[in-house]
Amino acid sequence: MVVWVDLARVAVVVNMALLASLIFVWGRNYYRLRSKHTLGPLLFAVLLFGENALALYFYLLDPLLSVWFSSQVPAPAWQGMIALHVLESVALAVLALVTWD
Amino acid sequence: MEAVLWYVLTSTRGGENRIRILRTIDERPRNANKLAEKLDLDYKTVRHHLDVLAENDIVADSGDDYGAVYLPSDRVRNYWDTVEEIMETVE
Repeated sequence: MVVWVDLARVAVVVNMALLASLIFVWGRNYYRLRSKHTLGPLLFAVLLFGENALALYFYLLDPLLSVWFSSQVPAPAWQGMIALHVLESVALAVLALVTWD
Repeated sequence: MEAVLWYVLTSTRGGENRIRILRTIDERPRNANKLAEKLDLDYKTVRHHLDVLAENDIVADSGDDYGAVYLPSDRVRNYWDTVEEIMETVE
């Protein structure tokens, strides 16, 4: 029996780690350059990080939602949700690769 | 091209050194060794930055041997106002 909620949590943590690496590079570049072109990517990454942090909160900590996600959500719904999280992980990995090159 | 310049020069980990390289070869063309010396960077690092810059048609080299000197590409010359705007941000 796969615990789907755990897979979703892992995918979200991976997204947050990738975004943290982008925030590091883009934050440093913004700090040095202070241009709107460097602020844009930084804000993008910070907001997307917030989105994933919120998802993790729902899955892990929210007193009502975390219980519901752990016990009431059927597998097919989870598979759909996880597909969204994993696609985001792949997208962020591509971005991190070119940014760190 | 503007988007490429902004990304490669300001949104990547090595952006700042790439700007320094571009500024230095704008003064006069140099080879990777001279660039490493002048900018106090590791030769391999400079090579990597030059490869990235060349791949994006920002710099061109005079030939394929080790002594090849690098200079801003013809294409980047047409967008030099963008390059200057970027350089002004890292005086």
